[in-house]
Amino acid sequence: MLLYGLDFLVFVGIFGIVALSLNLEFGFAGLANFGKVAFFLVGAYTYAVLSQIGVPFYLCLITAAVIAAAFGFVISLPALRLRADYLAISVLAFGEILRLLIKAEHGIAGGVWGITVSPAISLAGVSYRVDLLVNIGLVYFCLLICFIVAQLLANSPYGRVMRAIREDEVAAEALGKDRAKYKAQIFMIGSAMAGLAGGLYAQYLQFIDPYMFMPMITFTVWMMVILGGPANNWGALLGAGLVEFFDRGANLAKDYLVLPVDPSNLQYILFGALIILVLFYRPQGLLKESPIKTKALELVRYGRGVVNNKPGK
Amino acid sequence: MEEALLRIREVSKHFGGVYAVNEVNLDIREGGIWGLVGPNGSGKTTLFNTILGLYKPDHGAIYFNGKCISNLAPHDIYGEGVVNAFQLPRLFNRMNVLDNMLVAARGHQGDKCLHSLFWRKSWQKQEEGLIEEALDILRLVDLEKWAFSLAGELSGGQRKLLEVGRGLMAKPRLLLLDEPAAGINPVLGKSMFQKLKDFSCNGITFFIVEHRLEILFEFANWVYVMDRGRMVAQGEPHDVVDAPAFYEAYLGEG
Ligand SMILES: Nc1ncnc2c1ncn2[C@@H]1O[C@H](COP(=O)(O)OP(=O)(O)OP(=O)(O)O)[C@@H](O)[C@H]1O
Ligand SMILES: [Mg+2]
Repeated sequence: MLLYGLDFLVFVGIFGIVALSLNLEFGFAGLANFGKVAFFLVGAYTYAVLSQIGVPFYLCLITAAVIAAAFGFVISLPALRLRADYLAISVLAFGEILRLLIKAEHGIAGGVWGITVSPAISLAGVSYRVDLLVNIGLVYFCLLICFIVAQLLANSPYGRVMRAIREDEVAAEALGKDRAKYKAQIFMIGSAMAGLAGGLYAQYLQFIDPYMFMPMITFTVWMMVILGGPANNWGALLGAGLVEFFDRGANLAKDYLVLPVDPSNLQYILFGALIILVLFYRPQGLLKESPIKTKALELVRYGRGVVNNKPGK
Repeated sequence: MEEALLRIREVSKHFGGVYAVNEVNLDIREGGIWGLVGPNGSGKTTLFNTILGLYKPDHGAIYFNGKCISNLAPHDIYGEGVVNAFQLPRLFNRMNVLDNMLVAARGHQGDKCLHSLFWRKSWQKQEEGLIEEALDILRLVDLEKWAFSLAGELSGGQRKLLEVGRGLMAKPRLLLLDEPAAGINPVLGKSMFQKLKDFSCNGITFFIVEHRLEILFEFANWVYVMDRGRMVAQGEPHDVVDAPAFYEAYLGEG
């Protein structure tokens, strides 16, 4: 049971990173990235291939992030000039193409057979439990870094521009913001985070194959962001925790439940219902958008009290 | 003769068969308030959007400060110093009024990704100054009390005011205002023009579309008249009201 709990924590940490990255792209900048799993996959395979040739784990992780960012940049070039719905479809297709390519090509990291990955930190002769704790430490360290980056970006003039692009990109452009450049940057940062998470995922599971990177992963992460509350980094983490919790819960429950449907689909039914409930009753997600906070803004708002800080109605 | 700030030469823009802007020529010199009037659908907004780079002209060229800008992207045209307040306000609805203003600020260091992350000191100080400026402008357009309300919660007239305020915040050399007084109460509308006049003494040139001719004509130095995509008359306000083309544009169906 304890092991199960620790394993749960690792997953929340890893998907927390992916949720943060999608939140940056979609929640703040309004970029509907329906191909999140593609960058997760790139990170995981980069890690796997590098670790096989004996590269130390931290370099593997960094390279995973960098390569994923490079993919993000390349994809962003044509895609970001498209309308939002075309962007969604083209990135979704990109993820599937990558996955199928690996599946078909045995030359690439074992192809359909998958590839074993050595763990990031393996201490000789310690129990599985200690290994798990070390992994939690590593994953949450990475999560912390990503969270700090996301918070700094969100609470800065850069975050203001991201939101402006989400609200009305033409107006932002007419106010001097090069939207193509901003979108490409945000896409790169988001992809780097997803790649980092992919690397962590690969080393934690110590085995990856193409079936682990189905589009369902993308939708799970979307659910985290929508449930937790877009444009709120805490919300992304909350969403990651909740969705992972429901996922596990459904997985456990289905062994005990008698259902008129194939119980292996229970999660998906639950997720579907959850999404509908959220969209109906709380479309802004559980936590609402956090306003931009910078030192100077706080000073004006609370420091001098010259302006009414209640919403004017 | 003094070099014009904005020079439009033979510019045309059509949508399908409609010539929204048809071989327009126009010169705006630095300083003062310049007016553009014409009946609904005469192409005023289209001309503004073409100047802004939101539309590429089908024909002709636009020069700003002697440089051809008709092939630049909108954000570069902002960089040259041309900013617009849209006829239908395009606010950032889920951001508060003050943040809407700050987006428009010119040369904010923190707008850059790496600066926002690693050189926070460098823009924090700058931001304090920008907030002061923004609050000054908000006071001018009577929105200071709403600084921390979401733009999406403002009334129609307040949205217009914020749109104008945001334009001023961008510190342009040339500010295009598309019907700034539409939907604004008459007293405030007039006092707003008075304040714009003050700004125009501080280095902003205004080019204003306005249907409330009595206000515009009181403050404008020069007025252009458009009709069905063409520039049909121009002159000082008291001359334009006497021009036959002006009457024809508004009354004539011929
Ligand atoms: N994006 C567009 N697509 C097609 N036709 C357009 C478009 N924009 C403008 N038009 C047409 O161009 C003509 C000029 O429109 P424009 O908006 O420039 O007029 P306007 O002078 O600003 O009018 P108003 O005073 O009512 O704002 C109209 O006939 C309009 O239907
Ligand atoms: Mg118009």
